[in-house]
Amino acid sequence: MARALGIISFSENHIWVEGMEAYRSIPAFSFLGRYRVVDFPISNMSNSGIDRIQVYVRRKPCSLVEHIGTGRHYNINSKSGYLQMVFADSQEDKDHYNTDIKVYAENLDRMVKASNTHVVIAPGYMVYTQDFDALLQTHIDSEADVTLLYHKVDYAKEAYLSCDYLDLNKQKGVQAIARNNGTTKTRNIFMDTYVMKKEVFIDLVHAAQKASSMYTLKNIINDMCGELDIRGVAHKGFFAPIDDLKGYYDVSMALLDPKNVKNLFSDNWPIYTRTSDSCPTQYYETANVKSSFVANGCRIEGTVENCIIGRGTVIKPGAVVKNCVVLGDVLIGNDVHIENHVVDRYAKITRMKEILADPSKPGYVKRNDTV
Amino acid sequence: MKQNNMLAMILAGGRGSRLHDLTNKVAKPAVAYGGKYKIIDFPLSNCANSGIDVVGVLTQYESVLLNSYVAGGGSWGLDARDSGVFVLPPREKADANLDVYRGTADAISQNIDFVDNYNPDYMLILSGDHIYKMNYAKMLQAHKENGADATIAVIEVPMKEASRFGIMNTDPETGRIVEFEEKPAEPKSNLASMGIYIFNWKLLRKLLVADMKNEESNHDFGKDIIPTLLNDGKRLFAYKFKGYWKDVGTIDSLWEANMDLLDKKNGLDLDDRTWTIYTEDVPTLPQYISAEADIKRAFITQGCVVEGEVKNSVLFTGAKVGAGAKVIDSVLMPGAVVEAGAVVTRALVADQVKIGSQAVVGSADSEHIELVAKNVKG
Repeated sequence: MARALGIISFSENHIWVEGMEAYRSIPAFSFLGRYRVVDFPISNMSNSGIDRIQVYVRRKPCSLVEHIGTGRHYNINSKSGYLQMVFADSQEDKDHYNTDIKVYAENLDRMVKASNTHVVIAPGYMVYTQDFDALLQTHIDSEADVTLLYHKVDYAKEAYLSCDYLDLNKQKGVQAIARNNGTTKTRNIFMDTYVMKKEVFIDLVHAAQKASSMYTLKNIINDMCGELDIRGVAHKGFFAPIDDLKGYYDVSMALLDPKNVKNLFSDNWPIYTRTSDSCPTQYYETANVKSSFVANGCRIEGTVENCIIGRGTVIKPGAVVKNCVVLGDVLIGNDVHIENHVVDRYAKITRMKEILADPSKPGYVKRNDTV
Repeated sequence: MKQNNMLAMILAGGRGSRLHDLTNKVAKPAVAYGGKYKIIDFPLSNCANSGIDVVGVLTQYESVLLNSYVAGGGSWGLDARDSGVFVLPPREKADANLDVYRGTADAISQNIDFVDNYNPDYMLILSGDHIYKMNYAKMLQAHKENGADATIAVIEVPMKEASRFGIMNTDPETGRIVEFEEKPAEPKSNLASMGIYIFNWKLLRKLLVADMKNEESNHDFGKDIIPTLLNDGKRLFAYKFKGYWKDVGTIDSLWEANMDLLDKKNGLDLDDRTWTIYTEDVPTLPQYISAEADIKRAFITQGCVVEGEVKNSVLFTGAKVGAGAKVIDSVLMPGAVVEAGAVVTRALVADQVKIGSQAVVGSADSEHIELVAKNVKG
């Protein structure tokens, strides 16, 4: 019986993924052709024996609801456990009152009632694998009040600019949580992942409400760094926050490197997802595919290099697709040449024969668009 | 049962001994096909797509894997409140000794109590080892329109092959069956029985009860039940099926059925979104194609990793082809591994079998397809 209740949190107001987020929230983003981003935190919890999971949803819930459904595919006992979606009352973008604390407070009675002693909070907008049971044990053994997971990076000047970092003392005590402002190369990037006793969590929600009606959990924990024993634990392995279009594109491209794949996936840590029952992918006589992840249900007659190809996508003869993230059910027509783009679901590219962008600023083709 | 009051029973007890080592541990319906499927996915998906809610799966030979595979029925959406997939192996009963299924009809007879729970109007009998897409609801409609007592699905086969099948001789105008001949030396028609029957349950129930007690009987639909119905002057109709249908009895035909999928306009069309074939969901990565890979004419599914050359081949879930390896005109079943530099030609590599580095299996001019069921050292 898992001690912890799992909470999957939504992203804060300052995070916005150009283009894609207009249609769905980040947790519902397609990932590596086959997954959705939210499959990672939910599978992490499921694999860690956490079988009561709440997924907090702030805006554009359709795609996420469709994907999570009853949650059966996440390998959770459907009677003793549950996967519950909890919706924010307001779905407006940039509503600064619509914080995680507000939704937690509205649903606090559910948490109070749950028999679980601890909570594990993980973001629905970051990709990593982590054994939460081990993290929970580390937390309990340390006797800290709150444990925060971080990832040490040495290119915080160029990336992770929407993330926060942990200011740690030598004993890994957290002295502050602050926005990464890109001034320092090496940073302990906060993975928006928390472990604490349920009572501590409930107290923090109340304290945050008292302090400010725009406060987030992160804000109140930052305030409490002096009073509570808050510790950082380093994460090992692949870690990628998805906080803008470039970030989404870059993490997808990074996973075309088998080394990174090894750091994210392992045979004893399955990542569950909803099956679409698409048939295997068909490669025809003229297909030429290199260095790519390809989902099922595709029909490929053209050239594909360094790409992620989503389910059911069709690539016609003469087409050249390079360094692209192509979502599901896309049509890339005859002789179309496209590079360095994110192509959203159901797009049909047939008339524009050359769609190029610079890899430092990847382009975006809208969902359902005919180009 | 709510939808059409027809219950389906899938005969899945066959060993399929001509598939040799592939069926050493599993029954033929559980043999993998088409990259991600098992053969029994076809009748089960057809049932789900035809609006049939309750399916009994009659198992006998090496049924453990098949049982765990179909139990629950969730993979085919057959797990709603009023639906289900029920695995029915022979069982001991209060009033009868434990007895193996003596024939296809006996398998149903021994489960009359199960069917009675549902009290269906119609009974659909299917074979668990055929690959095809068929709307059984349309067949039922024809059955009703004909006022038939039984309807048998038939497919036209080349006349010269007709003597290998059970042949239905019909009235060309009405489609009513006048005669049934099992593997006739001189066939009068080319309408072969597909082993798919719809019966009015009340009538079939009566016949089965009588058949159980008949010591002369083979307890077989083709040999006993159908001839009895014809002798009794019952209304039997043929239902003509047009489309892809394959009984993969041998390694060669299983290989061939996989190769059929490589044609752009193949008759099975697994990409048909109006008639999806459902199967068990496996958590794997999507397929990864490396920088050195060279793939032409191939059907490849999730979990595969291709670093070598794949031509004219079908790769099943989790199959791997190492750098510099060649897989030509072959089928790699789930988890099969072809290590770096190995060459596989006109072969069917069984589940989880490893072809060692630089090893060579199969040959381009072999008469038969080579079945590789044991690891080959590099």
